[in-house]
Amino acid sequence: MTTLQGADDPASPRAVTSSSVSGGAGDPSGDPGGDRARARKQAHRRRMSKNWSLFVLFAGPNILLILAFIYFPLVSNMYYSTLDWRLGSPRATPVGLDNYVRFFTSDSGLEVWRVTGIFTGGAVIGSMVLGMLIALVLNKKLPGRTAARTAVFAPYVLSGVGVAMVWNFIFDPTRGALSHILGFFGVASPQWYLNEDWALVMVIIVYVWKNLGFCAVVFLAGLQAIPQDLIEAATLDRAGAMRRFFSIVLPLLTPTVFFLLVTNIIFSMTNAFDILRIMTPTGHGTNTIIFEIYLQSFGAYQRAGYSAAIAVVLFFTLFLITAVQLRYVERKVHYQ
Amino acid sequence: MRKPVSRTVRGLAVLGAATLALAACGPDTSGEVTEAEEVDVEGVEPADEITFWTNHPGGSADVENELIEQFTAETGITVNVVTSGANYEETSQRFQTAQGSAEVDVVVLSDATWFPNYLNGSLVAVDDLLEEAGIDTSGYVEALYEDYLYEGSHYGVPYARSTPLFYYNADHYAEAGIESPPETWEEVAEVSQQLMDAGVANSAFTFPPQEEYPAWSMANLVWAYGGAWSNEWDMSPLTSAETIEALEFAQEATSDWATVASGSPADDFSAGATSQIVQSTGSLGGILDSADFEVGTAFLPGGPGGEGQTPTGGAGLMIASDSTPERQLAAAMFAAFMGSPESTATFSAATGYVPVHQDADMSDVYAETPQFETAVNQLERARVQDFARLFIPGGDLELSQTLQRILTSDVDVAEEMEQLQSELENLYESDVAPEVEG
Repeated sequence: MTTLQGADDPASPRAVTSSSVSGGAGDPSGDPGGDRARARKQAHRRRMSKNWSLFVLFAGPNILLILAFIYFPLVSNMYYSTLDWRLGSPRATPVGLDNYVRFFTSDSGLEVWRVTGIFTGGAVIGSMVLGMLIALVLNKKLPGRTAARTAVFAPYVLSGVGVAMVWNFIFDPTRGALSHILGFFGVASPQWYLNEDWALVMVIIVYVWKNLGFCAVVFLAGLQAIPQDLIEAATLDRAGAMRRFFSIVLPLLTPTVFFLLVTNIIFSMTNAFDILRIMTPTGHGTNTIIFEIYLQSFGAYQRAGYSAAIAVVLFFTLFLITAVQLRYVERKVHYQ
Repeated sequence: MRKPVSRTVRGLAVLGAATLALAACGPDTSGEVTEAEEVDVEGVEPADEITFWTNHPGGSADVENELIEQFTAETGITVNVVTSGANYEETSQRFQTAQGSAEVDVVVLSDATWFPNYLNGSLVAVDDLLEEAGIDTSGYVEALYEDYLYEGSHYGVPYARSTPLFYYNADHYAEAGIESPPETWEEVAEVSQQLMDAGVANSAFTFPPQEEYPAWSMANLVWAYGGAWSNEWDMSPLTSAETIEALEFAQEATSDWATVASGSPADDFSAGATSQIVQSTGSLGGILDSADFEVGTAFLPGGPGGEGQTPTGGAGLMIASDSTPERQLAAAMFAAFMGSPESTATFSAATGYVPVHQDADMSDVYAETPQFETAVNQLERARVQDFARLFIPGGDLELSQTLQRILTSDVDVAEEMEQLQSELENLYESDVAPEVEG
C-alpha cells in the first residue's frame, strides 16, 4: 500500500494535514471553488447512487429473469454440448468437440442440413412471394377488403398443432379432402406420408399457408407507405403496371423485404417444430435442424449432449445469418 | 506499478467460474461409477402416501381411479395421481428430466422406454420389494413379467400390456369364399390373393407406417421365418437369410396384395379399405366400435420357422430409485395390487389391454366380446422382444425407417439390412456398450 511520505509527522515540511489542504471545511480562508467542486462531486455521487438504486429496483428483476431463463440455459447448453450425456443420466463423459465433429461429418448430420436448406428456402420464398401477391391484391379498393385481410392473417395466429391436425385430414391419401379433389380430376393422391420427398413438400405447404398472412400484412403496411404521387407520376409517364412495380414499388419495399427475409429465415428454422412434430412424428424426410434437436434428445436417441451441440450450431447459424444480412444486405436496402 | 488485469484474463476467469458453476449443476463427469445401493427393505414399514405418474394408457383414467380407491380402502395408503403426459414417450421424457427434483414413487413406462431409465439408475429392482410385500409373482403371465428381467433382476411389474393380433374382415372373407383365417404367412398370401380376386377391398392386407411401430408388429413375421432383429446384443440376425427372406416376402406383397397405411392401419381396417391387419390388442375396442362389419380375430401367423409367436408390448409399473424404502415398499404393494387377478380383469375389461395375471377371470368380457378371448389365449405364444428394438435408444426408429423404405420402394432388402445392422451396432457401441459392459 502506498502512503504519503511524512504524513504522520506534523513537523515535516512535507507534512499534509486536513487544515493545510486548501479549501478545507474548517478553513474560512480556503478556496471556495474547491468546496463547490467537492459538493458537486458529492451531489453527483448521490445522483448516481439514486440512479443506480432506481435502475436496480426497476431493471434488476428483469435482468435476473433474463439471466436465469435465457443466458444461464444458453451457457449451460454450451457446456452440455461438450459432454457425452444420455438424457436424465446422473453421469456424463467430457468429449470436447466430438459432438460437433460428429454432427458436421456424419451422413445424418449432412442430411439435416440438406432438409433444413430445402425447408427454409421453400418456406421463405413461398411465404414472401405469395404474401407479396396477396398484399398487392388487398391493397386495391375491393369490396370485402377488411374481411379478406382478417381471413388472410388468421392462420398466423392459430396454434401450429391445430393447423397441422386439420391439414392431416386434408392430406390423408385415403380419406383426405385433397385426395377426393384430385380424384375428381382423375389424379391419384401422392403418398404424402410415406414418400420422404412428398412429406417435405407437404410440411412446406402447411408452413407457408400458416405464415403467409404475416408476410401479407407486413407487405401491405409497406405498400401503403409508398407515396402515391410517385405512382401517379409514373402512370402519367405511361409506365405500365409491371414497370411501376419493378421500378418504384419493389425498390421502395426493400426495407420490408429485408425485414421479412431476416424474420422468415429465423422463424422457419425455429418455429416450424409444431407442424413437423404433428404431421411427421418421427421426422420422415422432414428432419430440419430444430426437429433433429428434439429427436436426438427427447425423441428416440436420448443423446442430450449431442442434441445440445446441434442447438449451439443452430444458435450460431442464426447469429451468423443475421450478422451477414445486417452487414451486407442492409447496405443495399433503399430507405426512404 | 501494478499491471492492470487484462480483459482477456478477466474474461477467462469469468468463463472458468461459469464452467465450474455449470459443472456443479450438471451431471457428474468425474468418471467414477457409483454402484447402485442395495435397498434393504427388511422390516421397513410401508409409507402411508405415494405418488403415481401415469399417462392413463388406453383412456384408463376412470378405471385407474376406481382401482386406486379400492387400494386405499384395503391398505390405507393414499395414492396421489399425476398425469405425466399424453403417451408413454412423454411420460418417460418427464421422468428422465425430473430426476432428483420431482416426487414420484411409481411410474408407467413402456416396453421401449424403461431401459434408458434403468441405465440412468432411476429404477429399483422390484424382486426384494415384492417379496417383502408378500407378493407371489408366479401368477403373472410369464413373458409379460420376464420383459422386465435384466441381469437377474426384474425392474417392473406388468400393467397395461398388449400384443399384436391378427384382425380380419369376416364379411370380406365370406364374400371371397374364405372359410377360416390363415395360420401361416404363406396362407396369408393365398387368402389375400383370393380377396384381391374377389375385389372386396382396396387391399387385402395393410402394413403399418413407420410411426405405427412396424418393428413391433412385424417381429412376428420375421420370427415366423426363423429370423430376428437381434440375439441379445448381437445384431447379426438382422442380416440372416431368414430375416431377409421374411422381409422380401413383405416387400413382394406390397407390389401385389398389400399396402402400407398412411396413418393408423386400424382406421383403414375399420373403414373397410383393407381386409386384414396385424394390430395391437388395445385397438380391439376402437375397431369394434367403428366397424360396421363382423370383425374376426386370429392368432398371428406362423411360417417355416415354426408356429406364430406374438411379441409382448405395452407398459409396466416401475419404482423410482430416488424414493425412500418406505415409499418404495408402498409403491410395490400398489403395483402388485394393480396386477392382481381382480384388478387386471377390471382394467383389461375397461381398456382392451390383456390381463397380466393368469388367474384373471375374463368370462364376462368373453361373453360380450368373444374376439378378446383370442388375444388372451394367444398369450401362450407371447415372446419377449429382441434387444435391438427394446434396449438400444433409437433402435426402434432405425428399424421402422428401414422397414418403411423396404415396404414402399424396390430397395435391395439385403443391402438395407446390412446398413441397418451397421447403424445399430454403432448405436450400441457408442450409447449402450460403455454402460452394460462396464
